Parts: sequence; structure tokens; C-alpha cells
Amino acid sequence: MAAKHSYEVKDVAGKLAKGFLKNPLTAVLGIVLLALGWISLTTMPREEDPQIAISGGAVIVAMPGATPKEVENIIVKPLERKLREVKGIEHIYGMAMENVGIVNVMYYIGENREDSNLKLYDKVMQNMDEMPKGVMQPLIKPFDIDIDVPILTLAFYQKENSTLSPQAYIKKLKDFQHKINAIDNVAKTTLQGAHKEQYNIQVDMGKLSAYHLSMGQIMQAVQSLAANVPDVKGRTRDEKLTIFGINNAIQTIEDVKNVMVANYMGSPVYLKDVAVVEDGIDIQNFQDADIIFRKDGDMENNLTEHKAQVTMTVAKLAGTNAVFVAQDVEKILEQYDSEFEKNGIGYIITRDYGERANEAVNELMSHLVITIIIISVMLVFALGWRESLIVTFTVPAILAITLFIAHMTGQTMNRITLFAFLLSLGLLVDAAIIVIENIHRHLHAHDVHEKEMDELLIEATDEVGAPTNIATLAIIMTMVPMAFVGGMMGSFMKPIPLNVPVALFASLIVAYIFTPYLSLKLLKKPSHSHKH
Amino acid sequence: MKKFENFVYDIINSQRKKFLVIVLTAVAFFASLLMFPTKIVLAKMLPGKSANTYSVYIDTPTGSSIEQTKKVVNCVTGILQKEDEIKNMVLFNAQGIPLDYAGLVKGSSMKRTENVAEISVNLTDKHHREEPSFLMTQRLRPVVQQECSNIVPDTIIKFIEQPAGPPTLASIVVEVHGDNIPKSRELAIEVGNILGKTEGLVDVDVMADDIFEKYELIPNIDKIARSGLAIEQVNNILYLSFEGMVIATKNSEEHAEQIPIFLVLSDSTKRLSGGSVEHIRSKLSSLNLMNQQGMMVPLTEVVEIEKVESKPMIMHKDLKRMINVIAETDMVSQVYPLLDARDQMIKHFSREYNITKEGFSTYMFDLHLTDKKTGETFLLRWDGEMKVTLDTFRDLGAAFIAALVLIFFLLVIYYKSFTISGIILLGSFLSLIGVIVGHWVADLVTKETFFLTATSLIGFIALMGISSRNSLLLIDFSMALMKEHGMEKKKAIAVATATRAKPIMLTAVAIILGSALLASDPIFGGLGVALISGTVAAVFVSLLFIPVLMDNAREINGDKLDNTSIDQEHPHDISITR
Repeated sequence: MAAKHSYEVKDVAGKLAKGFLKNPLTAVLGIVLLALGWISLTTMPREEDPQIAISGGAVIVAMPGATPKEVENIIVKPLERKLREVKGIEHIYGMAMENVGIVNVMYYIGENREDSNLKLYDKVMQNMDEMPKGVMQPLIKPFDIDIDVPILTLAFYQKENSTLSPQAYIKKLKDFQHKINAIDNVAKTTLQGAHKEQYNIQVDMGKLSAYHLSMGQIMQAVQSLAANVPDVKGRTRDEKLTIFGINNAIQTIEDVKNVMVANYMGSPVYLKDVAVVEDGIDIQNFQDADIIFRKDGDMENNLTEHKAQVTMTVAKLAGTNAVFVAQDVEKILEQYDSEFEKNGIGYIITRDYGERANEAVNELMSHLVITIIIISVMLVFALGWRESLIVTFTVPAILAITLFIAHMTGQTMNRITLFAFLLSLGLLVDAAIIVIENIHRHLHAHDVHEKEMDELLIEATDEVGAPTNIATLAIIMTMVPMAFVGGMMGSFMKPIPLNVPVALFASLIVAYIFTPYLSLKLLKKPSHSHKH
Repeated sequence: MKKFENFVYDIINSQRKKFLVIVLTAVAFFASLLMFPTKIVLAKMLPGKSANTYSVYIDTPTGSSIEQTKKVVNCVTGILQKEDEIKNMVLFNAQGIPLDYAGLVKGSSMKRTENVAEISVNLTDKHHREEPSFLMTQRLRPVVQQECSNIVPDTIIKFIEQPAGPPTLASIVVEVHGDNIPKSRELAIEVGNILGKTEGLVDVDVMADDIFEKYELIPNIDKIARSGLAIEQVNNILYLSFEGMVIATKNSEEHAEQIPIFLVLSDSTKRLSGGSVEHIRSKLSSLNLMNQQGMMVPLTEVVEIEKVESKPMIMHKDLKRMINVIAETDMVSQVYPLLDARDQMIKHFSREYNITKEGFSTYMFDLHLTDKKTGETFLLRWDGEMKVTLDTFRDLGAAFIAALVLIFFLLVIYYKSFTISGIILLGSFLSLIGVIVGHWVADLVTKETFFLTATSLIGFIALMGISSRNSLLLIDFSMALMKEHGMEKKKAIAVATATRAKPIMLTAVAIILGSALLASDPIFGGLGVALISGTVAAVFVSLLFIPVLMDNAREINGDKLDNTSIDQEHPHDISITR
């Protein structure tokens, strides 16, 4: 049927095949694509879960001595009404408690975080004139997931041999915290369960009445000494400045102990006579923390080591690589190892999202590779090893393009992105399989010897072009509406509609460009002629 | 190939066999749909995932001391210490654990009071552990709750799993809306009781402050004025003595922060010997205030002590008063316990209230209660994971319909025929049979319940495209055969089916193999199973059912192709080049 005249290309598939079939740059293009994919793979920020833009905040207003109902009427209700005016807020939660009212706002998922925070501030500040009397300044605390959710937590504890005082211990940890904060992309660090240094004056009630003293007197006595005043400029007669100032009367804990509280029967009563005064930690803070672990972290040992601990939390900036940040922190930790050892400070890493993200990503990457191998083995049996090799090459090329585009559009590599790849894996070999199968069919057709190789390849590619385009477009279209699914789940799943269409589109292009090109290099017309 | 060609030819040549194929397909379709109401296949938004960590939240009743809370914590850790797979436990008293995704929505960062504690439990690596974390919590939950929740009565101990997907406040949240606070409280407690009795629900918690006894010191204004004191002074001294205050600060060059100077009565002297009015009075009588004349006045002289009830917190949601009742599901879908509990509530509340149900929306489970005597109205609103699930399924459903419409239009543009487009669409819709049956099979072979989840739906949507591709290639090829080779229609369909069977099978096997690893994942298992089983169904549909329909469709013939894809300019180029 088909005479020797050249085949007329009808579809874009044929055009692409024709354009790249003999082009020396095709190989270069292939290598560049793979290289871009590799670069993206190694540098793309890794996370376990995709980022969900949750914005919201809390407005906290204290009103000492008010009952819940008073707080509800005076603070919560007017505040709720005002916040209702802000656009983009999905829910407002009000809480009226004794002494304090809290209003939480939750924006719709996907609202811009900075804008939302500004709107909240703006609305509260605009209405400061309507603040009721006797109410303290409102506190506005926006939620910030990236900053609030630590990626790394370290539990520090003092070993038995540690000789550090509580204050010195805290100071060591604070110094360390400062070092951590200096690491690139580290956002907020906190010390949870830590106590601050404090001078405690614990008054004995019995002695108080014995000396005829009241708490008020003691308070005044201490306050009168603990004032800080700036220096005074004195002028001399010859117009020079002489600076003099009052030193803070309280310099050490001894000064506090020796505060004279009263005169009793002619002899002075010092603070140390009626109270226990010590340089200690904040005893009024009951938010302490413990850790129970196995000695030396060995699973054979019993879970019985019980220690007070301070947890250092480390958060990262949005869009940065959790893996790198965690590694950097661990590096600093190693530097400090000997110093911690010397001071008897032990630590346990109690959370490492960086490692988790890396693990999740690597696990899925190995799944991807296994799947590609399985598919190529299957194709060896179905089509032959050369054809299988061609299809197997297209997969990394497609994934490389998709990965690179995802990287460029500011996405991160997370579980869902990789699931999108796994999902598209089954779909994206289709185009290449269809093209190669048609080439295979043409090569084994009875009229194969009447055609030139390159013409045959172009024709085979072009022939299946139209239905493959439409079919792939159909799959892309099924994915597109998913991008408009709202709510948490929609945001969570977003990498699927973002990446699968890109992968499918790339699969078409790659199938049309590289399948015929590689076929020309690898496949030959069968030497024996088919009989019909 | 020849065999299969004859087989297809045989079917489309016989009226009876064609009918049989259609009937069988219809039966399979409706039978699989029936698996939902008969609960053979269960739906859930997202299943649990095995993690290397979980948390325990401990809430002793409002007004409990930190020491009481610590006792409960010790009890819980005592039980957990016997576990082999726990690496370490991090305890946080009177505060939340460092924020995680679960804590983010459960208000863990807001915890400040003495009656709360959280424990973060770190397990060994999940790859080397036999027991998934969700089974571990399921096993430990009853043991821990039975042993430890009675140390301080009404303690609530919750096991919090890391959410597999986006976090929610709880699986089941019932919001009791109503302006009458005491009555809402009663309702909320009753709702909590019903949820507690419902099978499959655990960790039920009425999120309202418990009412506890407290004492109020009522200042006697007359006496205060006569003894030369001021009420403010009375307040301050009382607070200073028992709670303590930072009265001054000291700056230091050696320290990063200011050092506060804190004044309080010593612990041994301020401790009360009991909780009654007498104990408080005897303690306060030794606390003296100094008046303007420098004379000492005992505190008890100027105040009366009265026993009162604490005033619980008032919660609002969207400007309405509301009390939350939350519950977690124990390894089951939240849909079915929800329906059970709701039926119970309707039965329980219908004695005192007139109940109207909400219309069709994502709040469709809501109940409006009207008190038969007073006419006050209350609203029981179902929120939490259920609401998110309904919203998601609604959105995914809409996305699905949009996908259908888009594909249909695309096909109509390509084929210029509604019938052919309809056939392709119908064919792809039938892959639903595979999806549902696949979940049933997956449920049979796995130990835990295998739910139809949101990811299954995504898989199904993707399948639509895949199976329409099969039909598309089939139709295109047979029309080309008819036109170019002048083949008779039935013969052409049979030949096309047989020739296209190979690439259809190949791509199907590629998808199945590609999804095989997906199927083992807890979250994306649904997607994997949907793709695998749906593809199998799609292959059968496109190789048997579609040829039958093609034969019946008059639009499929050689001429049709003439004025569509081949001879026309390039109608489909738009699709790809834009």
C-alpha cells in the first residue's frame, strides 16, 4: 500500500519526532534534562508533610478580677463583633475565663499568612479606643506553623556526676541555644521546662508575727533598695562634666539578705532573720519537664532512668530544607560534646523531623526505582530488551522535568509530591509504551522493507499521536479540578494536581522526542522478512 | 491474538451474547454499589498510619494541683515503662509537648494550668517493629485508663496519634450550641455519656471546665475603712503571701537576663492543714496587715470567708455560646459510630425536646432541639474529622463531576459525536466496579479494616482518564481499519480489539506494578488499591463491554472518521500545542 513517497506528518507528535530524530542536540537535551533533575533532587527542600497555609491567631485580653460572664460581656463579645468584620476568617472562637478573655480566629485554609496576621493586628489596633477601662493591653499572637512547630527537639538532663548548679546549667544551655540560633535557616528556638535564675525570699509566717511585721513592709524594704537610676551629670565650676551615679544597692544575694526590714526593740531586724533568702530558680513556675529513658539508649536496658530535663526546640524558616537544618544542629552538638561531657550534661534527641523527612523521601525514592525496574523487566518480556531500555530511559527524563519544574515553582519534596510521582509513574510510561509498541508493530509489519527507518519511526509515532494526545489530555483534565478542592485536605493533596499534569505533559513530549530518537539508535529492522 | 479476535467477533455477532455482556456488567456495577449500604466496604477520610511516636494527654479536673496531676502521670508512665518498644518518654507538666501537627489543632500550646500534662512517647523505628503504633495505643488505652483515671476522679487520659493527613480537633466533635449555659452543660454531659456508650468511640471528653468548690474572701468594707486599710492593699498582700510576686529586679552584667527578686511566704508556713473554712480562717488569722497608723490588723478581721462554686469558662464559636464534646474513634471509621450515636441522641432527647433535622449540606447530621416546656432552642452540630471528610468528599465529588464534563467535552470536540463520547465515558465510569470490589478484597486480606478513603477517590478520578484512554485508542483504531482497509464494521472492531489488547494490557500492567508499592502505604493504600483493581476492571470493560457498545453505535463507521481526525486540518493540535 504505502508507496515510496515520503510520509506526510499530521500530528504534533510526528513533527516533534521529525524535528529531533536526526538532531545532534537531542542527546545533549537528554543529558541536560537528567542533570537538572539530579540537581533538583539533591537541593530541593525536603519535608515530611506538605506545607499547609493555616493562618490564624489569638487575641488575649486580661482583666484581673473579672468573672467569666463579665469577661464575656466586656471583652469577648465586642472583640468578636469587631473581628467579624475581617474578610477571610472562617471561624472565631471566644473563651471567657476568670480574669482573662481569649479570642481565637482561624482563617480559611490557603489565606496568605502575612496578610492575615496584619489584618488581625490592624483590626485590634483600630479599635483600641473602645477598650473598656481596667483592662490590660491586648496581646496578639498569630499562629505560625513553620515557626511554631519545631523540627528538632533535644532533651538535656544533668547526669549524676554533674556538679553544675541549676543556674550554671541553665546558663550553659542558653549559651548553646545562642549558637543554634546562629545557624542558617533556624527560626525560633525555645527552652521548654527550663527554670530561670531568681532570688527567692521565702518569709516565715510565724517569725513575721513574732517581730510584728507585715508582708507589705518587707516588700517596701526590698523595693527601696533595688532601684536603678541613670547617672547624673554634675558640672564643675570650670565647666567640665563630672559624672556620678548611684550604684544599685543590691549586687549579690548577700545584699538582699542584709536588707534591714525594721527595728525591733531597738535592734535591727534583717531580712535573713525572718526569711530564707537564696539565689535559686523560679519556684513559682510549675511547668517542669522530665524524661524517662533507657540507660545509654540501649534497648536491652530497662526503661527506668528518670531525670528532670530541659527540652530545646528548634524550628526552621518556611520553605527551607529540614534535613539540612537538622544536620547543621547535630554538627554543633558534636562540637559541644566534650564540653557537655565535662559538665555532666547528657542529651537525647527526642524529635528529628529532618531525619523523618529524609527517611520518608528516600523510602519513596527507592519505591520509585523498584517500580521502574519492575516495569522495565516486564517490558523486556513483552517487547524485547532494546524497547524496554528505551521506555526505561524515558521515565527518569520525565521525572527530571517534573522535579525541576516543581523545584522552580517553589514546591518542596515531601511525601505527597513523591506519591504524585508514584501515581503518575503508571500513567507516564503509557505514552512511551504506546509509541514504542507501534514502532515495534511497524517494524514487524510485512511492508517494513519498503520504508526507510527514520520515515517508519516518524510515521509510527505520528499515527498514535492524535489519540494519545487526547487520552493524555483526558487524564490531565481529571487531575485539574482536584486543584480546586478546598480545606485542609485540598491543601494537603495539592502536590498531586500540581505535579501529575506536568508529569503527563512531559511524558508526551519525551515520548515523541526521545522514543523515536532512541529507536533509531537502538532498533534495527528485522533481517528476516515476514511472510503474509 | 487470533483466538481473542474470534472471541470478540463471536460476542458481537450474537445478539444474545451481547445482551449477556451488558446484563453482567450492569449486575456487577449495582452489586458493587450495594457494598456501601451493607457495610461490606467502609468509608473513612484517612486511615491511621504507623508512626514512631505518639502522645498521651492527661487532664485532671479543673482546679487539681500539679502534685495530683503528677501522680496520674507517674501511674501512666509506670505502665508504659513495661513496654519493650518504647525508646524514651518525655514528660511535660502543666504544659504541652513541643508543638506537633496534632497539638496544633488540639490547643496544646495553650496549656498553662496545673491540671494538665502531656507525655511524648518515642518508639523504636517502625520498620523494625512488629506492632504498628495505632495498635499499640489501642491495646494500652483501656489498661491505662482503667488503672490511672481513678487516682484523681474524673481524670481524662487521651492517647493522641500523629494524624496521617491534615490534623483535626478530634474524629468526632459535637458542638452543643445554646444560650442557656447550665442547660447546655447538662446537654453536653448527656451527649458525652451517649458518645461514651457508643461502640468504637474512645477518649470522650466534654470540653468544659469542671465546677469545683472554692472560697471567696468577701471584704467587709466597713471594717476595712475603720481599721485604716484599703481593699487594694488587702488583695495585694493576700496574693503576695500565697502566690508570691516579683517585687524587684536586679540587672547584672554576668547574666543574659534580669534576675527577678521574688517574695512569698515559705512553703511550710503557707501550707494549709486542710481544705475547710476553719483551716483557711486559722491560717489567715496569723497574716497581719499594717494600717496607716502602723498597727497590725489580722486579715481575718476584715474579711468574711464564703464557700462558692467556681465559674466555668464560657466558650463561643462564631459569636454563639457553645460547648464542645469530643471523641476519638478506635480503629474504626467515624461514620458508623456517628450514625449510631446520633440515633441514640434522637431517642434520648426526644422525651424533652422537639427535634428537627438539618437539611442536605455538609452539616447534614445536625440536630436542632427545642425544649418542649420553655421553647429554648439548642443545636447539636457535628464537626471535626467528619465535617472535614464530608467537605472533602463533596469537593472531590465536584472535582469528579467537573472531570467528567471536561473529558466529555474534549471527546465531543474530537469525535464530534455525543454517542461515542458517551460510550467512552460510560466505559470509564464502570471502573468503579473494580475500585469497590478491590477494597473489599483488600479488606479481606488485611488484618485491619481497609477503608475506602479520600485517596481512593483520587485514584478513581485518575482511573477515569486511564480507562477513557483505552476506549479511545480502541475506537480510533477500529475506525481507521474501516476507513483505510475498508473492513466490515464487526470484523474491524474485533481486529482492533485484538490488536489493541496488547498495549492496553501493557499499560495496565505498568499501572498495576506502579501502584503495587503504593498499596502497602497506610495513606495511599486506597489510591493504590483503587488503581490496581480499577485498572483490571477497566481492561475487562474496554476489551469486552466497549466493543459491544461500539457495535451498537451507529456513529462508529468508516465515514465518520473521514470528517474528523485524519482529513481535517489539525483539530487536535490545539490540545497539545496551545
